[in-house]
Amino acid sequence: MGTAPWPLRRWGVFTIACALSVPSALLAQRVEVEEHVLENGLRLLLLPRKGDPNVAAGWVARVGSVNERPGITGLAHLFEHMMFKGTRVIGTRDIERNLEVMADLDRVKAELAREEEALRSRQRLGEAPEPARPEDLSVRHRELLEELAALAKREQDLLVKNEFDRIYTSAGASGLNAGTTSDYTIYFVSVPANKIELWFWLESDRLLNPVFREFYSERDVVREERRMRIESTPTGRFQEEFDALFWASSPYGWPVIGWPSDIEAITRDEALEFFGTYYAPQNITTCLVGDFDPARALELARKYFGRLRRGPREPPLVRTREVRQLAERRMTAQAETKPQARIRFHTVPDGHSDEPALVLLGEVLSGRTGRLYKALVLGSQVANDAAAYQRGLKHEGYFEAEGVAKPGKAPEDVERALLGELDKLKSELVSERELQKVKNQRAAGDFRRLRSSFHLLLQLLGRDASRSWKTINTDPPRFEAVRAEDLRRVAESYFRPENRSVILYHTQPPPAGAPGPKETKSP
Amino acid sequence: MKPRPAPAAVAIALAAGIAASSVAIALAAASSAAEDPAGRDAVVPHPRDLVFPELRFEPPDRAKHRHELPSGPVVYVVEDHELPLVDVTVHVRGGSYLEPSGKAGLAALTGSQIRSGGTARWSPEDFDEELAFLAATMSSSIGDTEGSASFNCLSKDLPRVLDLFSDMLWSPRFDPQRLELKLSQDLQDLARRNDQTSAIEAREWERLLRGSGFFTTDRVTKATLGTISREDLAGFHRRLFHPRNFVIAVAGDVDARGILDALEGSLKDWAREDWPGGPIPPVPKPAAVPAPGLHVVDKAGDAGGKAAVNQGRVSIGHRAATRDHPDFHALTVMNHILGGGGFTSRITSRVRSDEGLAYSAGSRLELGVHFDGTFRAFFQSKSETVGRAARIVLEEIERMRKESVSGEELETAVNHVIGSFPRLFATPQLVTSAFASDELTGRDAAFWRTYREKVRKVTAGDVLRVAREHLKPEALVVLVVGDAAAIEKGGLRDAVEGKVPGAGKVRRIPLPDPLTLEYPGGD
Repeated sequence: MGTAPWPLRRWGVFTIACALSVPSALLAQRVEVEEHVLENGLRLLLLPRKGDPNVAAGWVARVGSVNERPGITGLAHLFEHMMFKGTRVIGTRDIERNLEVMADLDRVKAELAREEEALRSRQRLGEAPEPARPEDLSVRHRELLEELAALAKREQDLLVKNEFDRIYTSAGASGLNAGTTSDYTIYFVSVPANKIELWFWLESDRLLNPVFREFYSERDVVREERRMRIESTPTGRFQEEFDALFWASSPYGWPVIGWPSDIEAITRDEALEFFGTYYAPQNITTCLVGDFDPARALELARKYFGRLRRGPREPPLVRTREVRQLAERRMTAQAETKPQARIRFHTVPDGHSDEPALVLLGEVLSGRTGRLYKALVLGSQVANDAAAYQRGLKHEGYFEAEGVAKPGKAPEDVERALLGELDKLKSELVSERELQKVKNQRAAGDFRRLRSSFHLLLQLLGRDASRSWKTINTDPPRFEAVRAEDLRRVAESYFRPENRSVILYHTQPPPAGAPGPKETKSP
Repeated sequence: MKPRPAPAAVAIALAAGIAASSVAIALAAASSAAEDPAGRDAVVPHPRDLVFPELRFEPPDRAKHRHELPSGPVVYVVEDHELPLVDVTVHVRGGSYLEPSGKAGLAALTGSQIRSGGTARWSPEDFDEELAFLAATMSSSIGDTEGSASFNCLSKDLPRVLDLFSDMLWSPRFDPQRLELKLSQDLQDLARRNDQTSAIEAREWERLLRGSGFFTTDRVTKATLGTISREDLAGFHRRLFHPRNFVIAVAGDVDARGILDALEGSLKDWAREDWPGGPIPPVPKPAAVPAPGLHVVDKAGDAGGKAAVNQGRVSIGHRAATRDHPDFHALTVMNHILGGGGFTSRITSRVRSDEGLAYSAGSRLELGVHFDGTFRAFFQSKSETVGRAARIVLEEIERMRKESVSGEELETAVNHVIGSFPRLFATPQLVTSAFASDELTGRDAAFWRTYREKVRKVTAGDVLRVAREHLKPEALVVLVVGDAAAIEKGGLRDAVEGKVPGAGKVRRIPLPDPLTLEYPGGD
């Protein structure tokens, strides 16, 4: 633990100035976080910062869709929604009756699941249509649905609606939200500087005794979220299918939001088990960034989060690794979108020693002065847009290059041109100036990322979920140390034909009678 | 190289930065913590029992940061030396309403090409390279009523980047090749503008509310882009970009005197030049009166029989007052309760939490600056339940006008608006951008000073009165985009008939030809 009078301790201007001309210069800033681990294993990161009278506050659980299995895909995300439904104290008029109604609901739901399975087996034989019509349901099935609706109504009557939100909102807090990724789940809010104790109260309470109210209607909300994000957008479902194609064995192959069949069937018991396994304090990091006194915050953390009991077992490790790819895979899609090509290679996870070179390679290729723009957009004019990037996930990683065909050109032309640029990187070294340019941009970007307390919070938590918050200070020198030869070497190692998957989008012809442009159809 | 202040001096400078917004916070008394040792006994049973120290906050004073340059512009400067970064934005009056007839798209094109097309001294490629190597970001754009150009750079590079920026502002080259590329990209975008239901919804909503010819509606076609020449861009640029039309915002690691001198130095010769077409004429108001009723856009499936989108997007609302209306504060509170306050608001609570009918549901009330604003309630729901959700939204609009809101609802909304007020000034960039915007649009400096007091005085009676005056059932426009047949089968018309004038008859809006914007069957 270190105490810093100023959160962001800088090395000084001379280092910053030199970073732009001397490649080996030390990097610019250090973020001095005060780190504590409570007895129950919960981690606490404190970064006091003068400025506006607010505190960005949040916590991360090291659990995401990668921790799911077939049958419960989407549970990590659905669970995130459930964490806003209150506790034994927050959100109800009468907790005992509330729990009784919830038990009744679960009982009806379980019986309903059996009816659904009976219907499903008839559908498997082709004896009932998909989707089923009301008249395809058994009498008991329909009765149960009515019972369920009546119980949901009774539950509503026992609720103090959205009390968790109301307390924060009324306190002047803003930006209350949460997010789920394949690797972690993050919960955050910005509270007025005088109300950090409220944050400790509410967050420790929902980790201590959450109650998953309105479980079944929230499942419907998540189905609508899936329709909005994936099913009703021109390329959402194709991208999802491309992910499933790219990952043969890894759990990154299913979508974070889950497959529809699973979202519709996940039970409250499964959610509770998930909570017990992954939301134990030793699997959580909390963090405050902003205008507060760290000594007081530590005191409050011990008082509130100290109430949580360490989980009896450590969360299980993610076991399934991606198998090595043996042959190129490809998809050719007809979609309501511009003709385009995406090429994706298996690479390395977040933090791997090859990652800095792959990230810089992506930056050498991208942007207005990047190689792809110069070669494909301004030069051969095969594309109207092009970019590339490395994405390191916790357990695996990939590199993607993509481009939009110029009208009159085909996605195949873009694919060829992208591969041509990637091939050049295997044989020729990038120039020192190109490399220095992207390093300069990273160095300036390291400052820009510190401007908002809220974004700093997200970075610290995201990093702590994967490796450690300390990587915010230890990663920049690793990027600074990359040499042109490293870029060539990683290009050669990873940009191999048998290691890639390709998706080509052709523009889908408009339906008969509907207006559509003639010119932009791809050949 | 300019010497940088040592850390101690940074601390002093930072404190001076905060003086922009005088903050006084009495952190929780140390004594109470000392006599109240950490332990679960000390946790109050409900957060309503927590006691918070007082938080005093005064918004920054506009007059203290305002400077007038002899060359014409008003400049706002907020110094902040925490990070070695500087932001400069030049705002200009004027926008697409000044496009000559038949040249829709000229404003946006000019806005993009100021930055992309090089300068008299610099080719576009060299200009991009120079900025990229300095790791500076620079951009320009022109919208409907305002334009802007801005940059962010490391403070050590400020003189160099300011020089490049002035060059770009004063003498953009409008390079023909870059213009051709942009036109190719724009045409490709036009061709795809019927792909996304969200884009269709935004376009048709604006047309319904403002009338199809008004300058805020989408009027860009292949033909209008075809008439635009490089000379048009140069002329439009000269008309908007003149020092006498500038409001400049500067935030970050600068010395106020130094940057004012530097700006004056680069603008004074320009200010003596002629300003063709200046000063800028006022923004016109829409002539058309929106027709209430039920409007449906059918997003049909493809020729191969692939299903249409499975979720309908819905907007319900009408035109609203301007922001100088005396009911401004009461209206803010009213909409917070109706649909603007997230989960604590009525529409979100009923459509999402109670019924699970949507992921996103709520309402926005945007009071106009130059002409009428808009009130819009919105949601996205699966086709079958669009009608049910629409019924709920209409009920809630009606209930706002019939009954007084509860004391708790009023308190939540008022407390939130007041409590989150300091967030509006959370960074120096937010402060200068609020000042510049107020200057540009002529908002009184007293607005922020009296804001919280006026919100605090809003009563339940005020909320009921403004709901009755400003929510207008007789003017409701309902727009639905999605699979029309499935949505209508779900009972949409029954849901709105009798509540929305003329809703007995569904008006179908066909998809226009994306390149000509011609609507089949006339418009």
